[in-house]
Amino acid sequence: MLRMEIALFFVLAFVAYVFFSAGGKNTLLHRTFSALLITMLVHLVFDAATIYSVNHLDTVPVFINDALHRLFIGTMVLVVYLFYQYIAILVEEESGKPRNLDTFAKVFLAAAEFGVLVLPVHYAVTRDGNYSDGIHASVCYITMAFYLFFCVWLLLHSWKLIDPKKKFAIGAALVIEVIVSLLQAINPTWLISGMGLTLMTMSFYLTLENPDILRAELTEQKMSMLYLKSQVNPHFLYNTLDTIRIQAQLNGDKKVADLLMQLVDFFRLSVKVDQPMVTLDDEMALLEAYMLLMCYRYPELHCEYDIDPDLGGVQVPNFILQPIVENSVLHGMKNKGYRGEIRIAARKTAEDRMEILVCDTGSGFSGEKKSVIDQMLQSYAKQPAKLEGNSIGILNVQKRIKLLCGREYGLWYTENPTGGVTAHILLPGKETGK
Amino acid sequence: MRKLSVLLVDDEIMIREGFKRLFDWEVHDCEVAGEAADGMEALALIDTLQPDIVIMDINIPIMNGLQVIKLSRMKHPDIAFVIVSGYDDFSYCREALRLQITDYILKPVNYEEFGSCIDNLKIALFEKRVSTAAATEKHEERTITGITRYLQEHLSEEISLSVLAEEFHLNPQYISQLFKSEIGVGFLAYFTNIRMEKAKKLLLTTSLSITEVANQAGYGDYRVFTKVFKKLEGITPSQYRRDFLDAKSV
Repeated sequence: MLRMEIALFFVLAFVAYVFFSAGGKNTLLHRTFSALLITMLVHLVFDAATIYSVNHLDTVPVFINDALHRLFIGTMVLVVYLFYQYIAILVEEESGKPRNLDTFAKVFLAAAEFGVLVLPVHYAVTRDGNYSDGIHASVCYITMAFYLFFCVWLLLHSWKLIDPKKKFAIGAALVIEVIVSLLQAINPTWLISGMGLTLMTMSFYLTLENPDILRAELTEQKMSMLYLKSQVNPHFLYNTLDTIRIQAQLNGDKKVADLLMQLVDFFRLSVKVDQPMVTLDDEMALLEAYMLLMCYRYPELHCEYDIDPDLGGVQVPNFILQPIVENSVLHGMKNKGYRGEIRIAARKTAEDRMEILVCDTGSGFSGEKKSVIDQMLQSYAKQPAKLEGNSIGILNVQKRIKLLCGREYGLWYTENPTGGVTAHILLPGKETGK
Repeated sequence: MRKLSVLLVDDEIMIREGFKRLFDWEVHDCEVAGEAADGMEALALIDTLQPDIVIMDINIPIMNGLQVIKLSRMKHPDIAFVIVSGYDDFSYCREALRLQITDYILKPVNYEEFGSCIDNLKIALFEKRVSTAAATEKHEERTITGITRYLQEHLSEEISLSVLAEEFHLNPQYISQLFKSEIGVGFLAYFTNIRMEKAKKLLLTTSLSITEVANQAGYGDYRVFTKVFKKLEGITPSQYRRDFLDAKSV
């Protein structure tokens, strides 16, 4: 039995290492679990120590044996109390009902710990091994029964209000613990109490406190926040902008009204971003709204479109043109004082292929830049998903084209003989019905 | 031609103000006869004012715009309804089309381009008059009906006022006046309108390419055609084709 306790200790120590190194949330529930883990580890140390000492009554002095037993039972009482606390907090979190048994549970804890410290320890010696019994050991059994009963009662009382995954986890842990405790009570020489407690702690860890689960929950929360943020009712946004636009025009400011009109258009079109694929018409409408606004800001910037009208219905990955054109404006045109032209053309190159060209008269690639971008676009799959920087736009476009259309399609750049660069986007040219 | 009376229905005062003050009703021979902010008020005003045109927001309090149209259609079959909606959702449009509305425009409303909507309305009214007249008195064809029929038959050709003048042995200024007084819109607006109607028909009933549709509707350059189409309809020709075919298949 000593070897089992040592094994349990290492298992829990490993769990504790993973748990603490992950640095989870700082809530009451997780703090309780941290306390539980540490108390469990201490308890297992004394558990192992008493298993040795109680079976060597002749060599280990009685006062050491007594002290070890008091610490062993003392920590066990604390562990069971923490189990109760953990479940009570969880049930409170889930059901919203206040923990009204807390004071009672604490008074009982104090009384039990006091009993553990002062009551006389008695040892039973049998052929199968020695164990402690009598009034001191019975404190442990009573405490166990007391808290386990509370736990079961709490769980059943709020059964319907608790998340199914959580209630079954706790339920299973409690069933294991009750069975182990009963077996221990019937066969005192088995000395398996440590196993039951470890299993219970483990089951909490695996189902409720696992860092991966916590991280997933956290990401989920973050995602839904982002979602909410982006959803700040778009109708509110453009209705308000539209009111401002009309007021501006009523005040005689035609220019502001026009700009706002374009902005409203841009927002209205970009609300469709949740679809992975859109028609080329939709994509072009968004791009035109964007370019109109840019051309207002930089009056020397010109934009030409030459789109084969029969390609209007072709499905393309959403939001691929705007980043490419933005790149042309910000990198190609900037050094030319935003003076120049961007030509956007779409044409069929084969029966079921189409090519979109974004051709600018900007300053072109400087030195190494071309090969760096070529390299990046070619080994797109190995590139980490960056969230900021210059080239995330085009990398993201490349990745989405490859993912949504197939590996034979994609984006590449060439340099124009007259200066500036051309982005080539090769896409499927078939109108795939919805 | 008498002035057309217009009822504005929108729950937002700013939108009504925009319509009232930013669009030149005078030039288009119209006048705003009243305004309503909710469905009940609209219904009552339609009864008392009997307007020619109702410009109607869909999303209004008490009773939505489509219901108002449905209820007043029975009593006033001749009113032209123009739906204005922020919901660029085709399901509304589909239901609206079933109610035989005259036009459907999306917010944000471009007040300068609202004129083409009024022009469409007038042309529709004119064509209705011509067809009822043709049914009752067949004997004498009026000059304007002759001209419009000629235009319908020569849609794909380059036709200007001077070509018409030669064909009908009339003064170009006189023809221009005739359009204004008989239909209420200029020659060019009328001609563009019937070309677009032709294009729309081709888009929906044939599978001709956009370039071919543009040619048949009198546009040698599809880019010009797409631009004009988009300006008048708010969407590109291929979108128009797709949206309408989608709506039919649902």
